[in-house]
Amino acid sequence: MVPLLEIQEVSKAFAGTQALSRVSFTLAAGEVHALVGENGAGKSTLMNIVAGVLQPDEGSIRMNGETVTIESPRRAQALGIGIVFQELSLVESLSVAENIFVDRVPTRAGLVDWRRLEERTRAILAPFGVTVDPWALVADLPVSQRQLVEIAKALSLDVRVLILDEPTSALPPDEVEALFAVIRQLRAQGIGIIYISHHLAEIFAIANRVTVLRDGRVVSTTSISDCDMDGVIRAMVGRDVGAMSARSRSGTGAALLEARGLSRTDTFESVDLTLYAGEIVGLAGLMGAHRSELGRALGGALRPSSGEIRVGGQPVRLDNVQTALRRGIAYLTDERKSDGLFLEMSIADNIIAPALHRFSRFGLVDSHAAVVAAQERMDRLRIKASDAHQIVGRLSGGNQQKVMLAKMLESDPRLLVIDEPSKGVDVGTKQEIHSLLSELADAGAALLIISSDLPELLALCDRILVMREGQIVGEINASAATEEAVLAMAAGSTPVTANERPHERHA
Amino acid sequence: MSVTHSDRSVSGMSIFALARRVIARREATLAVLILIIVLVMSQATPHFLSMANFRAMAIGLAPTAIIAIGMTILLVSGGFDLSVGSVLALCSTGVALMIAGGLPIALSVIGALLIGAVIGLANGLIVTRLGVNPLVATLGTMSVARGVSLVLTEGFSVSNLPPAFGYIGGTNWLGLPVIVWITLALVAIGDLALRHARYLRQAYYIGGNEKAARLSGIPVDSVRCVAYVLTALLAALAGILLASRLMSGTPTAGAALELQVLAAAVIGGASLRGGEGTVLGSFFGVIFVALINNAMTMLEVSIYWQMIVTGCVLIAAVAIDMLLRRRRS
Repeated sequence: MVPLLEIQEVSKAFAGTQALSRVSFTLAAGEVHALVGENGAGKSTLMNIVAGVLQPDEGSIRMNGETVTIESPRRAQALGIGIVFQELSLVESLSVAENIFVDRVPTRAGLVDWRRLEERTRAILAPFGVTVDPWALVADLPVSQRQLVEIAKALSLDVRVLILDEPTSALPPDEVEALFAVIRQLRAQGIGIIYISHHLAEIFAIANRVTVLRDGRVVSTTSISDCDMDGVIRAMVGRDVGAMSARSRSGTGAALLEARGLSRTDTFESVDLTLYAGEIVGLAGLMGAHRSELGRALGGALRPSSGEIRVGGQPVRLDNVQTALRRGIAYLTDERKSDGLFLEMSIADNIIAPALHRFSRFGLVDSHAAVVAAQERMDRLRIKASDAHQIVGRLSGGNQQKVMLAKMLESDPRLLVIDEPSKGVDVGTKQEIHSLLSELADAGAALLIISSDLPELLALCDRILVMREGQIVGEINASAATEEAVLAMAAGSTPVTANERPHERHA
Repeated sequence: MSVTHSDRSVSGMSIFALARRVIARREATLAVLILIIVLVMSQATPHFLSMANFRAMAIGLAPTAIIAIGMTILLVSGGFDLSVGSVLALCSTGVALMIAGGLPIALSVIGALLIGAVIGLANGLIVTRLGVNPLVATLGTMSVARGVSLVLTEGFSVSNLPPAFGYIGGTNWLGLPVIVWITLALVAIGDLALRHARYLRQAYYIGGNEKAARLSGIPVDSVRCVAYVLTALLAALAGILLASRLMSGTPTAGAALELQVLAAAVIGGASLRGGEGTVLGSFFGVIFVALINNAMTMLEVSIYWQMIVTGCVLIAAVAIDMLLRRRRS
């Protein structure tokens, strides 16, 4: 049978670096073909070539056996290639319907036919099994629903090849399954799907075949039934990587941070928690549990409406990030690009941002000291860049995440609130980040980790607090916890049993 | 734009890399363009290369250059200020009225500067506390300040000022007017401060990514307020110097000055999106625009045509920059 899409021996170089060398990849109709690899392996380059954003230097692409030239994204659309990018590309101030149909809204006598637009939108959204109002503004939708709108937008183009780039990075665990249901349906309709994800568990759940890229070359293409997770990881990083092993803890110290009855209208309510020196505490929960908001409140980025926060026994008011930093609390956002980094500035400028005063004498910034300090951090965190002057926007996602961590460490915090520490980073980087966080705890810091990646929480944390609808509903000792137990508590499907009830430990 | 960029050690770089880095900077491009205009004009007309012409040009561009310092800081932090021309007029009439009313000169100057500072603070607070868009906020204060200066003077200039007030505006030091020396000193201080002072460096972070700046613990609102106050203070100073030079306060002075300043800053490399720009670049932008206008006057091009040319130069400068950037990425 002729494959739906056939990429043959494609190469592409950028200013001296070979991004892709002789990469071949096929996609059959009705197949989910996963594409995995570390950051910088060439996945994005390959997908940009398929989507018509980039042109290959060598090699050819065939669709249904015919050689095609995809010279523009428009041409890709015409060929039936749809792509859902990692960064959402929706217009927030417009409705769902208008976002899906963009320039293809049905018209009558040159005017938009609003009724037909609504009908078509409903028809496209129906298989997703969720009710999204076609006239809701995208700005008002939760991220998970925006993702659906994005996919619906690609489907409205009558796609035959659908590329999903990290489709679950913004989804809470319970909605991943809903997405998979949609994918299975598309597969049954004969659509070929290229699925890119760092979450290998997802790939084993949904893909038929998996292709591993490393340094711009195809390492292997195998049927999913012929490989296992360790094998894929080995192929990705080119070496053995130990399984995520649970942290061995070195005991905990004094209470560094205590929150009592912390509430914020319509977000979280009566939150009690204590963080002890030397421990890593996880914060699990589904979308709508308002974990991020609680994290922001502890980091001074969001003001609670009532309740008390004590740092080292002293009651404090965290009116803004500056006061939190002064108390030794650093907060790391999960929105790396929009809230976390200064993408057009250098690595050094980014790293010193929260600690400008430490690099200043008589009010003047000592650039030399800043660069030296940044370089040190880069070496410690193994940030791959030519030097500290490199612009952060040009780094890979994993390296950007490390820059953000380096920036946070520059304020020399004792308490760290970290939202999604390994969002969008590859397996190797994730492990490096985990060992860094462990070291921080061993050195006496207290860490609160918010993550939607349950295996990460289980491996990294000493105990896990579970939030549901703005309240902490339980606490689980990480060594005894299972993903199922955490999920059940987060979803509220099991009653909270005695030993899971929130309790305060005595230091 | 970066803190550390300019201080990068030269030793480790090849001459070519260094050359490329220098060429990539807007200041270098403008300096070359300015030189070309000077060379061409000195061949075209003998009057161009005269001390009198340069002195006239320097005095003429002084207010624009002084205000451009503040405007650059504002643009870098992602804001801008349309009220500067009106503040200049209000403070020039204000200082004249106070002196004419019998107040000591020093006190009147301080009073006029205070008026500027208050308007700047108002701009800053309206933008940061009330969340009003800078365009709307400063459009409002622009109208108010102009209105107040017209109300106070009923539209007439305030003259009959004591000769002592004209000292700064009318004296030369080492062959150059004092106003020009003041301008040069302020530009030098402003450039160094925006490059190296910790407090002002924060403007680049705010303009680069306001949310990230907030989460990095940078006092976003206070830096923006300070930028507005500085800009208005500089506009007030420009107004006082203008009054001293003309020996009168004119309520209609500085009309459309805000657009000239913005145009010069943008030609000099500042971006309306924030995060980019240097005081030196804006200063070169001011000189560049002044030179083009001067050249056209020398070549007897009508004043109306000059406006057309200035507009085209503004768009061309920014468009070329955008094209070069797209090529580079």
